[in-house]
Amino acid sequence: MGDPGEVKRFSPDSGSLMLQKLVTYGPYVASTFLQVALVFTILHRRLWKRLGDVLLYVTALLLIDGAARSFVLHEYGFSSNEYAYTFWLTDVLLALASFLLVCSLFRRACRNEEKMWRFLRLFLALVLILVLGISSSSLIHNYENLFSYFIVEFQQNLYFTCLVLNTMLYILMQQTQNADEELGLLVTGMGIQFAGPAASLALAYLTRGQEFSRSLAAYLGPLCTIGMLLTWFYAVTRMPQVSSVPARDERVKALEAVAPRNA
Amino acid sequence: MFLASLILIISTGLFFFYFQVACQKILRRRFEQEYFRAIVNANRLEFPAVRQAAEELEAPVDYARVRMTLKCDYLALTYLLKNAANVNQRYSREERLLILYFRALFFSLVVRHSLKLRETPAIVRLTVILQYFANVVGQRVSMVRFGSLTASDYLLSL
Repeated sequence: MGDPGEVKRFSPDSGSLMLQKLVTYGPYVASTFLQVALVFTILHRRLWKRLGDVLLYVTALLLIDGAARSFVLHEYGFSSNEYAYTFWLTDVLLALASFLLVCSLFRRACRNEEKMWRFLRLFLALVLILVLGISSSSLIHNYENLFSYFIVEFQQNLYFTCLVLNTMLYILMQQTQNADEELGLLVTGMGIQFAGPAASLALAYLTRGQEFSRSLAAYLGPLCTIGMLLTWFYAVTRMPQVSSVPARDERVKALEAVAPRNA
Repeated sequence: MFLASLILIISTGLFFFYFQVACQKILRRRFEQEYFRAIVNANRLEFPAVRQAAEELEAPVDYARVRMTLKCDYLALTYLLKNAANVNQRYSREERLLILYFRALFFSLVVRHSLKLRETPAIVRLTVILQYFANVVGQRVSMVRFGSLTASDYLLSL
């Protein structure tokens, strides 16, 4: 979710104003359109029970990205401090919401693995407390210098934590041979959403905010959000819901129940 | 600085990994029947033979010929995807993604050849994408009927 204020502005004679607006706002409009469409599809197909967490996350994305930021942008403009503060602080909120969504997907992946879930629940709670603690104290101490490299580094770390957790979830699904294709696509979408911004923010930090890396970060964020939403859309509309295969414990028990009779 | 470099490298790697996973998940879609056979026969496509040779034979592949075959089949199938029994005359979102994936893999095939690495895995993946395209075209065409014949039966009877 890059900063539209950072997008390189074209000089009036370098192209038509229409094209300039299309390039600048196109990804944001497409992203908002997809968010609305996804919320509508989930509600229309009555999937809120199974995809309640996704619905909440996309609604939060819609309210923050589509409504709150647009309002501040309209009221104060791109180059205002108000917009910059709103953008970065809401981005922290969205990153935390993403973290909670990953936790929720962990729960879904461990539906048949209660023992593993008990351990993971503790681990995720610890990570959340750590992330919240470090985030709050860093934000309070650096609030005055929010627009130094601090916020870029902070966001990069937050996205990377989510990316690592998401990849752990992907590996866990492979290990437990989870056959839930829809969940697989949801996790893949999250991976695209976290990996792009984490890489572009790290590049922006390493190049000390050069124009190229800032422009890349500004475009890559919305494009990755579009990638995630399209993947989720495919998961919701095209993927048949496959009931997950029985957990390993259950499979072993079933085999044990059969074995003595055959012996 | 070190941490940021590490994050940049890992995140970039994972970005491409997840992109590939998304494409593979689309390719795993199952069709009710093997629609691609009718399309292959009607259009004399060669990718199934290339796939069979790459998977079963240990002999090194004739790179120039395989490359040309895959390219020709790709052009034929993308044309059919857009124009055969397609009312909108445009690619769907997943087709666009797979076209991008095909191009990336095709580029990797060229790189593998120039670095003298094994080309077989890339060739097999490329044929899997072509098979998916042929299945989609076949499925669309099979829905169009000419009297009592499906379009693919009609094409084969010519």
